[in-house]
Amino acid sequence: MSVTVEFTYDMTKALGETRISLDGVGTVREVVAQVRDRFGAERGEEFERLTHTAAVAVNGVLVNHRRGMKTPLADGDKVSFVKSASGG
Amino acid sequence: MIKGYAGRILEVDLTQRTHRFVPLDEDVARLYIGGKGYGTRLLYDRTEAGVDPLGPGNVLIFATGPLNGSVAPQSNRFAVVCKSPLTGGIGNATCGGSFALGMKKAGIDLLVLTGSSDRPVRLDVDGDAGSVDFIDAGDLWGKGTYETQQILGKKKNHAVIGPAGENMVLYAGIVSNERIAGRTGVGAVMGSKRLKAISVTGKRKLEMEDPEAFRKYTKDVREMFKDHPVLGESMKRFGTGAIVNTTNGRNILPTRNFQRGSFDDAIKISGEYMEDHELKGVKTSCIHCPVTCGRDVEVEGVGRVKGPEYETLALLGSNLEIGNIKKVSEWNYLADDMGMDTISLGATLSFAMELQERGMYSAGLEFGDPAGVSEMIRDIAHRKGAGNDLADGTKRMAEKLGGSEFAMHVKGLELSAYDPRGSFAQGVEYATTNRGGCHVQGASMYMESTGPITINPQSLKLKAEIPIVQQNLACAINSMVLCIFTTYGMVPKAGHNLDPNSFLYKVITTVFENSGPMMRTMMSIKGRPMMWFEKWLTYITGENFSSGHLQEMGGRIFNLERMYNLREGVGPESDTLPHRILYEPTFKHMKSGHPLDQLLPRYYKNRGWDAGGVPTRRTLDKLQVSV
Ligand code: SF4
Repeated sequence: MSVTVEFTYDMTKALGETRISLDGVGTVREVVAQVRDRFGAERGEEFERLTHTAAVAVNGVLVNHRRGMKTPLADGDKVSFVKSASGG
Repeated sequence: MIKGYAGRILEVDLTQRTHRFVPLDEDVARLYIGGKGYGTRLLYDRTEAGVDPLGPGNVLIFATGPLNGSVAPQSNRFAVVCKSPLTGGIGNATCGGSFALGMKKAGIDLLVLTGSSDRPVRLDVDGDAGSVDFIDAGDLWGKGTYETQQILGKKKNHAVIGPAGENMVLYAGIVSNERIAGRTGVGAVMGSKRLKAISVTGKRKLEMEDPEAFRKYTKDVREMFKDHPVLGESMKRFGTGAIVNTTNGRNILPTRNFQRGSFDDAIKISGEYMEDHELKGVKTSCIHCPVTCGRDVEVEGVGRVKGPEYETLALLGSNLEIGNIKKVSEWNYLADDMGMDTISLGATLSFAMELQERGMYSAGLEFGDPAGVSEMIRDIAHRKGAGNDLADGTKRMAEKLGGSEFAMHVKGLELSAYDPRGSFAQGVEYATTNRGGCHVQGASMYMESTGPITINPQSLKLKAEIPIVQQNLACAINSMVLCIFTTYGMVPKAGHNLDPNSFLYKVITTVFENSGPMMRTMMSIKGRPMMWFEKWLTYITGENFSSGHLQEMGGRIFNLERMYNLREGVGPESDTLPHRILYEPTFKHMKSGHPLDQLLPRYYKNRGWDAGGVPTRRTLDKLQVSV
């Protein structure tokens, strides 16, 4: 099973990638843990700062409107880190 | 005269080349504030039912409100009101730039243009002398909005049209400095009157009831804005383009003519990317606005010009599947110079691309390919070749060529850049907003999809209530006339610092989502002014403004617009969404599209309309809407 993970702009800058593919992840919590690992222990604070106000969405739906970090994932799902914004 | 108003309306008859000043009606101002509200009242009263929007019988109204001419942040905007040639119903648009300030300095609250000139003309208005000169504009006809303003000089404040307005492109706008009153074809109406430009000058100062309280409080508001995560930081740093990544993540970024809600190259057309790669260091602003949401970009062969904002980035970027910010910037400049609305333009281009893909039409345009787009924008402005079809917008193109199920408009006005399949309240707002598929007549999406605290955008809860509160508020704001972005400051800083994945966030949004009629009741309480715009209005006019007052006034304006539409034949059957939005799912879990059929009856009921969507006599009487 494989899911795509899309980052916020700041996370993209920090990691050098807009999106990655992750295999064998069953829940959103596991995705977040793997992304944290990518930042590594020495950049843990940076991860916290960049994700503190970023919501997580699965296929465009915020996980807080589903089962939070326990939201299960299916093959082909897209997990996005999303910042709120305004204007238009 | 109530303070905050100049106290007079300038009426100009372009056929007879005459003018006169008439006093502002204080009773109307008390009911409709000014700007869009007062303008709609005049339009309703001064035009015959069924008038040709591009004929001399249509009136074109430029309207300011009591906040214009003050130094309040975000307060230098004017409204334009007329019958829309694009929708056949109410037409209006607001614009920043400097014209609102110019009108107030000239001592003019509203400028009402009737008739039509037999040759290109421009108006030169000296408010202090009380004079209006009708000047031949043959030398300016055909010129872009930038060159026209350059020729007219910086001593006066101008509102001008470009070739799109002259050639009555149905989504042509009116430009002041680098800002545009873009929507509903107000520029085409100005072009139909052969009026190229209006210049105003004067030295009047705005009189206020309590200038000292206004001054002190405005200083505090400026500090509050500075410290606000949206008005002081996000919009300042990234402009409105910061939303691209938000809407993309939430699957509501129009992509490929709304076939999808996300775009692989979204990041390359975002405000953050613009800041890192394209911004030339200068952020621009409407007069007296510290938010500075505009930004300059470099366009090859032109130099430094205003960069694209969110709607343009989405409609001319992802919606055409073009992830190239240089191209989008170039087209944005071109559209501004030709004087046309980039939202309708982008949607019409994507419609032409889909028609081409399906073998139904050939305009030489393809998704993902920038080739031919610049030329097409010029051709639209000059109604040349296929540009003549595109100049009429998606609704008319679909009537002529087919494809109505993927023509992305409501009431003829092309949808802006929030896909309602992931933003249900915004969908109800699009369907019911009197001028058609637009987001700045309410901006419900802020409470469900883009703001810092958002309820579930795909449940049915509150989705028929939010649009009413938001539409009423927007009507009031567009009548002051204030920038709608001011509402983004209403969520305080603490709200922005909440972790959206936290339990507390979930509790807050759940309570909000279940607040039902409570929310409307709270908003309709007539108490003391609390929000900055309520206080400004109170200090300037001496009348008491609170949330309840604004909801009532906004509701009055909205219902009058509705009655105008009904009179002009734009009836409840047009309270709908494009077929694609209603029936084609873009979310994995969805079986169909937006559930408008379940929400519209609730919306009508909450509005005090009958089941057929017509305001009841009781509702009109309660709101004092005389028709
Ligand atoms: S927020 Fe932006 S659009 Fe609104 S008044 Fe300020 S600069 Fe103008």
